[in-house]
Amino acid sequence: MRFHIITAAFLWAAFVESRKIRGISSSYKRFYRERKSFLCIDGSKIIPFEQVNDDYCDCADGSDEPGTSACPRGRFYCTNLGFRPHYIPSSRVNDGICDCCDASDEYNSHARCQNTCWNLGQKERAYVEGQMKTLDEGLRLKQQLIEEGVLLWREKQAQLRELQRAAEDLQIKLEEHRKRKHEADRLKEQTLKALKAGDRDVRPESSSCGFRHQNSTVSHLFQLLDSNKDGSISLDEVKAKVVLVHDETRVLSEDEALTLLGGGHQMDLSKFQNTLWDVLTRGDGYKIKDAHSAPGGLMSEDPHLKAADRAAEWEAADLKKVEEAYETVNMEISDLQKKLEIDYGTDWEYLFLNGQCYKLKVYEYMYTLCPFNTVSQKSTAGTEVSLGLWGMWAGPAKNRYSQMVYENGEPCWQGGSRTTSVTLTCGTETGLRSVKEPSKCQYIMDFETPVACQPVLKQRGVHSEL
Amino acid sequence: MCCWFFLRRMGPVLLLWVAVCLSGSWAVDKGNFKTCDQSAFCKRQRAMKPGESPYRALLETMELTNTRLTLQLINDNNKVRLLLELYRLQGNITRVKINELKPLKPRYEVPDVLIREPPTEPLSLLSQDENGVVLSLGAESQRVIVSARPFRLDIVEGRDVLMSLNSRGLLGFEHLRMRKDTQADPEAENKEGTDPANPAETAKEEEEKVEDGMWEETFKTHTDSKPSGPSAVSLDFSLPGVEHVYGIPEHGDSLKLKTTDSGDPYRLYNLDVFQYELYNPMALYGSVPVMLSHNARRTMGIFWLNAAETWVDISSNTAGKTVFGKMLDYVQGSSETPQTDVRWISESGIIDVFLMLGPTPRDVFSQYASLTGTQAFPPLASLGYHQCRWNYNDQEDVRSVDAGFDEHDIPYDFIWLDIEHTDGKRYFTWDPHKFASPKEMLQGLQDKKRKMVAIVDPHIKVDTNYKIHNEIRSRGFYVKNKDGGDYEGWCWPGSAGYPDFTRPDMRAWWASQFAYDQYEGTMENLYTWNDMNEPSVFNGPEVTMHKDAMHESWEHRDVHNLYGLYVHRATAEGLIERSGGVERPFVLTRAFFAGSQRYGAVWTGDNAAEWDHLKISIPMCLSLGLVGISFCGADVGGFFKSPSTELLVRWYQTGAYQPFFRAHAHLDTPRREPWLFGPENTALIREVIRQRYTFLPYWYQLFYLAYQTGEPVMRPLWVEYPQDPATFALDDEFLLGRDLLVHPVTEEGARGVTAYLPGKHEVWFDIHTFQKHNGGQNLYIPVTMSSIPVFQRGGSIIPRKLRVRRSSTCMEHDPYTLYVALDNRRTAEGELYIDDGHTFNYEKKELMHRKFSFANGVLSSVDLEPNAQFTTKSWVERIIILGASKPSMVTLKTADGENQLEFDFDASMSVLTIRKPGMNAGADWTVTLQ
Repeated sequence: MRFHIITAAFLWAAFVESRKIRGISSSYKRFYRERKSFLCIDGSKIIPFEQVNDDYCDCADGSDEPGTSACPRGRFYCTNLGFRPHYIPSSRVNDGICDCCDASDEYNSHARCQNTCWNLGQKERAYVEGQMKTLDEGLRLKQQLIEEGVLLWREKQAQLRELQRAAEDLQIKLEEHRKRKHEADRLKEQTLKALKAGDRDVRPESSSCGFRHQNSTVSHLFQLLDSNKDGSISLDEVKAKVVLVHDETRVLSEDEALTLLGGGHQMDLSKFQNTLWDVLTRGDGYKIKDAHSAPGGLMSEDPHLKAADRAAEWEAADLKKVEEAYETVNMEISDLQKKLEIDYGTDWEYLFLNGQCYKLKVYEYMYTLCPFNTVSQKSTAGTEVSLGLWGMWAGPAKNRYSQMVYENGEPCWQGGSRTTSVTLTCGTETGLRSVKEPSKCQYIMDFETPVACQPVLKQRGVHSEL
Repeated sequence: MCCWFFLRRMGPVLLLWVAVCLSGSWAVDKGNFKTCDQSAFCKRQRAMKPGESPYRALLETMELTNTRLTLQLINDNNKVRLLLELYRLQGNITRVKINELKPLKPRYEVPDVLIREPPTEPLSLLSQDENGVVLSLGAESQRVIVSARPFRLDIVEGRDVLMSLNSRGLLGFEHLRMRKDTQADPEAENKEGTDPANPAETAKEEEEKVEDGMWEETFKTHTDSKPSGPSAVSLDFSLPGVEHVYGIPEHGDSLKLKTTDSGDPYRLYNLDVFQYELYNPMALYGSVPVMLSHNARRTMGIFWLNAAETWVDISSNTAGKTVFGKMLDYVQGSSETPQTDVRWISESGIIDVFLMLGPTPRDVFSQYASLTGTQAFPPLASLGYHQCRWNYNDQEDVRSVDAGFDEHDIPYDFIWLDIEHTDGKRYFTWDPHKFASPKEMLQGLQDKKRKMVAIVDPHIKVDTNYKIHNEIRSRGFYVKNKDGGDYEGWCWPGSAGYPDFTRPDMRAWWASQFAYDQYEGTMENLYTWNDMNEPSVFNGPEVTMHKDAMHESWEHRDVHNLYGLYVHRATAEGLIERSGGVERPFVLTRAFFAGSQRYGAVWTGDNAAEWDHLKISIPMCLSLGLVGISFCGADVGGFFKSPSTELLVRWYQTGAYQPFFRAHAHLDTPRREPWLFGPENTALIREVIRQRYTFLPYWYQLFYLAYQTGEPVMRPLWVEYPQDPATFALDDEFLLGRDLLVHPVTEEGARGVTAYLPGKHEVWFDIHTFQKHNGGQNLYIPVTMSSIPVFQRGGSIIPRKLRVRRSSTCMEHDPYTLYVALDNRRTAEGELYIDDGHTFNYEKKELMHRKFSFANGVLSSVDLEPNAQFTTKSWVERIIILGASKPSMVTLKTADGENQLEFDFDASMSVLTIRKPGMNAGADWTVTLQ
């Protein structure tokens, strides 16, 4: 650094001409070589050289008054030896406020400006050094995080593959279980049908035992209904014994009973077997009054049906378990895929942030940033408010990973919803550094992390030191 | 700022309010505010029929002294007698006072508005008979004719009637009475009975009809107990030959007042109106009961000095007639003279009216100024640009906005803090976290020669841990409720008390709170903003205080419209006192009354980011200027809602040419600092703010003039062109002083504007292109986004400072450029006023006032105040002569001798630029063109 200053001073000395022109940089000296006249730098006008810096603006581009406040569009060069040189608008020359650290802008004012360049320079150098250190350290950490990121990425990829394999296995299993359940259901159905069919059954697979049983069941039920044992069921007998499944307490009406008897007032066993028995065993509309004598109850007593029923239940439960497992795995897959779809930077260096949360208290609010997920605010009073869900990277094209946007947080009083914009800056640690709400419902966060450190920045840092 | 945000925080507390505000869209909820029909006294008075006046002048009671005439009036219906007082005041003003001869108790007479007891001139009796008397009003062949039956007053000049009072017989005066349905007061009867002058009349007194609303009145959920019963006063004024009346702000309406026959009268009752609507007569935040009338021959004014709720009816016999119709009347000779009739109705107090008889607009301004004083001369910096927002959140926010102005090279002088800067809406305090070190912040601004304004509202949080509250309570300074306890209402802090600013001891105490050792964290560059001083009471009737609240012995009813003025006054006095009387204060107020001009600036309240609100800012500020309040502005950008970029830019362009130039925004709107709309728009806004700063010398001089004479800074064209009827209703353009004509672009997507350039013999120069235009024409001006049509009058000289810096203070010692715009006779005149910009030392003649004149090719500067003492470092760096011809030689002559000056002549525009004459701005000099 010191070497550079000495060099600059030396070069500057070499360029010095007979008269010092106030307010220009050495690179502009060539425009101000003392001659009879001065050509405005934009070429618009030629004026006598005495009119340069004579506190009257002659050139439209302000070039004749680099050292005064005369030109509205002019600029004044602060040499600021020991610090950074820079331009200020001409309007800040002799305005009573010290702008150049070398005090050169207030050469004719009440302001008593001290030359603070050396101090500033030292501070700046210390700052830059600190920044460089941070940057070095940050970049080192970033390299680690990149490596970790790659590993993490691979790990996640492996996890995904594993999950996908598991899903495939589960799918095969699922097919099997579906088949098995289907089979069990069919068996149950058949058993049931066989029971219903009784002696007249035509199905070969039903056992003879079943026929008898069913037959006796039909007659058993018939007898149950035939209270006076006259071999036929009357309207009154139906009304006395049959009730609605959904309303056991209500006595059937004449019409309802008539319908059940197929329109006639009497019904013998054979007719019963073909009509009313069916209705009662279906069990969805009507049933026999006493629970223990209901047709279902009668049927469940049948051991074959019981076995078939149990088998079907078993298979259904199994299938459900497998289905659930399959669903869970698929969900995990889609979660993971979604997670992996997010852009984590060229080297997946931001991946490690997903799943972490960072907190910062600002005045009465606790802010929480969970990168790639959510941003929220919790007041000391206790209510948590969403300030946005992960939206996208929103930095400028050349550095799009410098800013994140979280959108669609909780709705605002005047319409719209809360959004948060997070600026990522280089630091040796990862954490939330500041939160602001410049306008209602629009939040701005500074988030520091080594992965935001850019080697380019280091280059710039070196330049600014010059 | 209004109740809107209050709802967010206090919503649960006042669900009713939430319901009310949510139910509306963006417009005002008119149902929250009374119509004349809902205001019992207005309804009663308005029901009176013209031509049936029961009042008779008792000429035998007339007494004429050197200073006044007194006369009793009698109401033949109820035999109640009134006392009429008539004064001739210096400067062509006639004052008419009417009070009850023997009121049951004193009626309120407005104090503290007149700057002194107005000096009188002698009246003399010209003739008298049983029908009336004729008095002479001084030298100008002016007479006042008092007719006895019915009573009426006519002011006559030569053969012309200038103004008539009670010519329509609408004088109404509700005498104070005992409430009949409760008991009769034996003492009162006794009193009347013992009056030997008219024992018969007492007996004859008609039974007064007791109407609804006389002794109690309910509006929405609020009941007004009306302990004094009916007490309204009203009077009609006829203005023959008048078709244009102006004034009686504050209304969101056109400059020319409309007739009110088909709707409500204009209402004057200071109210916090949430999202006010435009082009209607509803009351707003402030009231100045002054109306101006104008025709090509004469300008007059009526100042109705009454601080109670007031309604003003206007009717006209030509309203609604087309120009053709009027012409037809004229041709057929059937026309009656055009005439405007006005009627004032107030709820209580007395009739005390000042008839300002002109005849010129300037005469009326000086007449009104002689009564209520002139515009406070503001600190120069307050004429710069103000950056406000509800709210700048914390010190860091302030710092970064301040830095933003430097970064974008935009000048500004004041940054503002709204209510959130306080510790829980406790005024005179700072939020301990967000504004932990206010002095540091203020010093940071001071270092850049910038300033700050912090809000101090008059509602005081009821909190026993709050010093201000405790002191006010223990001193008994709060306004009382009708039962004698401290009045409490809801406002920003929740439950709040309202200090009784009508009390001088209260005001003195309030003022003392601004001392640097009282108001912690403050220093010289902190100024004050009084908002909500109507007063705003969120849960009160019409969002204000109950009329039966008590200010010592007076009801709030009597003093309502004065409250805001007193708050403003006490605050301004506080700022003066804290500097030991050295520094000029700057205080912005929302509520105001006649006389508020003496205490500082006024803005048009909570407007909205809409084109119509931009347009209305012109007539609203013009109306205020006509009645003395020159320091007026509207929130640039609009307070509610978010402006389009185009609207924002246009608003900056308009606001930069209005007296008080402040951008402001609601808490719920997105940020809108000038640099947030892309570089192009930043450049447009920067340019117009810079234009404002170049004109600061002219603004300052205009304010000095306003302070001296009461002439408005921003004025309607008719003020300068009183004989040109084309100017009478113009309110989309205006003049600054006499010399700048501004026609802002206020239409969305405008490609051009048509500006009326007044004056048949005038010429006007476009200030940007120097293009010359003839007066007396409508000029179409094509516009782009950067256009602000502004013209300098030929015949004027305007000093400007072209070196625009960070703030006005930074420009203090900068040189001037003189813009000399020649008229058709190749002459021009102008002035330059300079002082230190911030102290009262100008009162001790520490000032410089120069006059520039150009004639016969010679521009000269002479001293207008040879006895004044002031020196300046500023010099003249450039003279630009518009409409010039090319000289062969330019010579400067000063005390030091003669020298030739360089110059440049632009033949295409006839602009002569004289290079660097260099003389001190305070010197005597001539520049001769040969």
